[in-house]
Amino acid sequence: MTLFERVFGGNDAVYGLTEAAIDNAIAQYGEGQAVSFPDTAYSLPCYYAVTGTKVSTLGELKAALAVVKSLMTRNNRLNDAFMSGVATALCAEFIEVLKYINGATPYEAPCYGHLSDAVIRNLGVPLVTGDIPGVPVILGTAPSADEAVDLVKSYQSQGMLVTLVGGIIDQLQEKGYKTGDNVRIIPLGKDVTSVIHVVSVALRAALIFGNITPGDAAGLMKYTMERVPAFVNAFAPLDDVIVACGAGAIALGFPVITNEQENIFRVPKSLIVQPDVTKFNATSLEARDIKIKITNIDIPVSFASAFEGEIIRRGDMQVEVDGSRVDCFELVQTKEASEVEDHKITVVGPEIDEIPVGSKISMSYTVDVAGKAMQPDFESVMERKFHSYLNCIEGVMHTGQRDMIRIRISKADFEAGFKFRHLGEVLYAKLKNEFEAVVDKCQVTIVVDAEKNAELRHHANAVFAKRDDRLKSMTDESVPVYYTCIMCQAFSPSHVCIVTPERLGLCGAVSWLDAKATNELDPTGPCQVVPKDRCIDENLGRYEDVDEAVNKYSHGALEHVTLYSLFQDPMTSCGCFECICGVEPVSMGVVITCREHAGVTPLGMSFSEMASMTGGGVQTPGFMGHGKQFISSKKFLKAEGGLGRIVWMPKELKDQVRERLDQSAFELYGVEHFTDMIADETICTEDPEQLLNYLSEVGHPVLGMEPFDM
Amino acid sequence: MNWDRLTTVEEMEAATNSLLENGKKVGADSWQQRVKNQTPHCGFGEAGTCCRICSMGPCRITPKSPRGICGCDVHGIVGRNFLRFVAGGSATHSDHGREICHTLYESKEGGAYQVKDPEKLIRIAKEWGVETEGKDIYDLAHEVAEMALLEYGKPFGTQRFLKRAPEHTQKLWHDAGIEPRAIDREVSTALHMTHMGNSSLPEALIRQSLRSGLSDGWGGSMAGTEFSDVLFGTPKPVDTTANIGVLEKDQVNIIVHGHDPSLSEMVVYYANDPEMIALAKSVGAKGINVAGVCCTANEVAMRHGIPMAGNFLSQENVVLTGACEAIVVDVQCIFPALGPLSKCFHTKFITTSPICRMPDSEFIQFSADSAAENAKAIVKMAVENFKNRKSELVNIPNQVSKARVGYSLEAIVKVLDGVANTQVDQMGTTKPLLECITSGVLRGAVAMVGCNNPKVRPDYAHIELMKKLLENDIILIVSGCSAQAAAKAGLMDPDLAKEYCGAGLKRVCELAGIPPVLHMGSCVDISRMMLLAAELSKDSGVPISKLPVVGCAPEWMSEKAVSIGNYVVATGIDTFLGVDPYVKGSSEVCELLTGEHGVKDWVEANYTVELDIDKLGDMMIERIEQKRAALGI
Repeated sequence: MTLFERVFGGNDAVYGLTEAAIDNAIAQYGEGQAVSFPDTAYSLPCYYAVTGTKVSTLGELKAALAVVKSLMTRNNRLNDAFMSGVATALCAEFIEVLKYINGATPYEAPCYGHLSDAVIRNLGVPLVTGDIPGVPVILGTAPSADEAVDLVKSYQSQGMLVTLVGGIIDQLQEKGYKTGDNVRIIPLGKDVTSVIHVVSVALRAALIFGNITPGDAAGLMKYTMERVPAFVNAFAPLDDVIVACGAGAIALGFPVITNEQENIFRVPKSLIVQPDVTKFNATSLEARDIKIKITNIDIPVSFASAFEGEIIRRGDMQVEVDGSRVDCFELVQTKEASEVEDHKITVVGPEIDEIPVGSKISMSYTVDVAGKAMQPDFESVMERKFHSYLNCIEGVMHTGQRDMIRIRISKADFEAGFKFRHLGEVLYAKLKNEFEAVVDKCQVTIVVDAEKNAELRHHANAVFAKRDDRLKSMTDESVPVYYTCIMCQAFSPSHVCIVTPERLGLCGAVSWLDAKATNELDPTGPCQVVPKDRCIDENLGRYEDVDEAVNKYSHGALEHVTLYSLFQDPMTSCGCFECICGVEPVSMGVVITCREHAGVTPLGMSFSEMASMTGGGVQTPGFMGHGKQFISSKKFLKAEGGLGRIVWMPKELKDQVRERLDQSAFELYGVEHFTDMIADETICTEDPEQLLNYLSEVGHPVLGMEPFDM
Repeated sequence: MNWDRLTTVEEMEAATNSLLENGKKVGADSWQQRVKNQTPHCGFGEAGTCCRICSMGPCRITPKSPRGICGCDVHGIVGRNFLRFVAGGSATHSDHGREICHTLYESKEGGAYQVKDPEKLIRIAKEWGVETEGKDIYDLAHEVAEMALLEYGKPFGTQRFLKRAPEHTQKLWHDAGIEPRAIDREVSTALHMTHMGNSSLPEALIRQSLRSGLSDGWGGSMAGTEFSDVLFGTPKPVDTTANIGVLEKDQVNIIVHGHDPSLSEMVVYYANDPEMIALAKSVGAKGINVAGVCCTANEVAMRHGIPMAGNFLSQENVVLTGACEAIVVDVQCIFPALGPLSKCFHTKFITTSPICRMPDSEFIQFSADSAAENAKAIVKMAVENFKNRKSELVNIPNQVSKARVGYSLEAIVKVLDGVANTQVDQMGTTKPLLECITSGVLRGAVAMVGCNNPKVRPDYAHIELMKKLLENDIILIVSGCSAQAAAKAGLMDPDLAKEYCGAGLKRVCELAGIPPVLHMGSCVDISRMMLLAAELSKDSGVPISKLPVVGCAPEWMSEKAVSIGNYVVATGIDTFLGVDPYVKGSSEVCELLTGEHGVKDWVEANYTVELDIDKLGDMMIERIEQKRAALGI
């Protein structure tokens, strides 16, 4: 028998019963007998919502049945099956309303039967806010009472509003499981027709909250499909009547998940056969695209942003993960859904209690993420969040990123029972929570094994290099838009970064790709699109669009910012820049120093001293904070003649940027080994004369440039 | 622009008429006029009963002269003509595939042609038993390209790609003796068999037709598709626009036309070159707009979202807008009429392939090693021609539809993964589509392909048939000019087109985020459809011929189309034609192709020819329902 034949058969059976029931009632009470559900302004809510016609007497009910019959067409098309499903539901409503004739109270505790309008209005807010993430409709008898309880409990713990029809109600009673609307478990009734009382809730919600006109069946079905997060769990055996009801549910957009395997068809996202009842919950959530917000993280210590700035001193430290000495890294990678077991936390190597106090250890944590909307470009965005996530754990301190991380776990945490796997719990919970738009599944692997990490780090570095390469291939001209970044505004309220492919955020952590992903994940968040249609001066990197953006996001503090100039409205800094450059007036070049370099520069100032010249969102012409990557960009100081202006950098920094800097200099000036022409602390520290001599000696291109137009 | 409803054929015809008016101003000829001049067509030619294979004739078969001078009867003559038609198509598609293989062989790191989909290359290499571990991707590309090229002339064995078919299909081919050997050999054998004094037995000629067709679909075309993906990227869903209104009034319009993406990829690249854009601005244009016609349009739309100006019978329209700076062509389906037509306007007609040389064109020979400079020169020529545009002759009809294209097999499987449930389903299969079909939510699928043909009201058959099928919950997989007809009408606009579907197909489109008409690519990409059918069969365990899936070419015209028809039928898919393939002169050949005992006995599928388009649609729906009933679904 085909699926449609089953639907049609079930529909015909219910129709026959309904017709007989109405005829019997008319025979008993007469056509003028009033029929209604208690405490609703919507007549027979389902019939009213679908047709726009109110029914108040048995005679009208009989006439309504003729309308229902007109829905029961029998072509082999889904439309006919859907309409037959709807017709079945309406028949169920008619059968149910007959139970209420003459003010009867057909339902006794624990069953509810019809639900009043007031109940629906109370559900409105929690449904809209997602406090109630879904409405499971569980129908039939579970394979065992224990499985019934487990399933209901699993939904209840997710905050769902669980409705029950049939044998499962007895199963919960048998186990003494508490039900009731106060615990969000509503047994409707034991007859299959009582399922209409939850359908009635969904359709009334469309009328009450969705402002759907009664009789607009298409609008109604669109509303329920898009906005009412209901779904059906139907236990085997499924007879044709249940299949017909299922067609009605699917027509409204509610998927049906069943463990029936006999004589059943499968329809993606709509009719799903899951033989394992313990997986009903996960299967249903995926089918209805419901993602559960995790609010409690299962760790033995507190988790709150209050702990984010907490410092763990050496003496208080149980163990230290030290990326500056041993192989450590943190990595997010995208995987196929089938490769990820959600919420699997694996610790490879010793746990914290197997390691002597005060150890410096090698650790890596790799987070595998799968999701239908996941893009590899989001990996680095998620990774950058780890710093904040781990710092929010009481007694844990995290610094750095990628393969340069340092984590300290306090002795207090160790005593409270904190384990390495709890780091995984935190990462899991936060990623699932904050990136719910893209993360469907997530697993964490923590490796505490120096040898393995040495090997894994190669892989991780390859991933990092690949990400950097992707960015390298992009130029400011090749992309259609730039982005703002105002992540730092919590402590630097008037600073706005404009992030372009060639000029990443000055902190070095927000590349153009990161900004793009942040924008896609959270369109109202810190990274907003900046169009680049209205260029005023290409050389300076001056755009009307950029000016508008900085003005808007600095709340009026800044009016103009250029992308490529050190003197003309240079970009501001928050204070967390990787590097700072400043004018060296003797050579008419610039000196760059970085956070890691403690010594002084030929300007007679150290990094911190130079940094104090700018930051906090102020424009200081001649001084500018920036990321390391920007140094080798052809856009660096473009307005002042480009990176050929660089006359001094710490040796370590030179080595970091050498390859790409040499290449850019060659392309810009035809100069080879440009980095070697830049002086460093081994050549001169404080003496500008010494610097100038060196520059003359090597024939530095700055000597051929015009003086700065200060 | 009306985004709220489909663009009708009547509206498109009105637009064409306004363009023809434009043409009249400058004395342009048109296909519409030439059709009139050529009507009525030669009756012997149409029936396939004229033989001019040797110089004793030409012989024409009539009741009074039932045999040619050599004694060949009408069945032999029709059969030979049919086979030669197939061989022409097979050679054409396969040679296109060969060009792609050569381009792959020329690919290099940092070169004009690079490997954009290394995973696909590795997958094919593994399929062919090539060691991939630790091998440089370009070394691998060259090795695989050479193997692919050897498929054209291998002395022994059959086509490597045949192994992709379900075992049942492979067995049918083996038992019928139609497993294609070397691709070129099947063309040669066809020509040899049809030479004077060789085969005149219809059955043998039709068998070779299937075999030659298979050497195209499961050989040359498949190579063309697969290695185009390796070189230019496997298509994935991308939004674009279609119809004549995609030409931009204020921009330099470059039309790419033909089939081989090697040229158009480079043109698209250089049209985005800042230097060229600056040049365009310097001549007063706002930018450079590349749009496509015919299968080249399909190729660049699928990979870059380049707009599609029109299909086969729109090729003159783009010139008639008076806003086309250059029409750049590669191979196949190019009207020689474009030469004289372009002279009536400022349009540069640029031919690029030694395969396709035409009078009144500028010839810039395109080759893999000079591709970049050729393409740049072409773009430059178009830009510099902008100033010659005559504003009084510019008429761009305001017709544009949105379209989501790019449904390669890989992309379709990805879409299907999106509606699967990871808790119960295996990922990476076609099973969700099969479930939609077995449950009845979808009744089946029609692969609609092929050209335009003035014998059928252009685009009308494609669009009307599609609408009829959509209403009946039948999903469409389309390619070639059929795909563009759908796109022009708006049937690939996911938001709009679902409203023209039955409840089942509409729900599928909503859940999967797809249009109901899936653009699978150009005409060589019908090989993708064969692979989709093969996957459906493997995933369901049901032979291809039993699946509720049929093929349809309602407006076909070229030899390639007949080659396609042969491999589609030979793959087990019943095929419905809206134009007669020059065989009606022979009852025996007709019986072999369309009867119950002919090709159907060998490959479990056959042809249906019906010139009444509405009836053709009903017959397809009926066949699909018959197949469903036979499966009990």
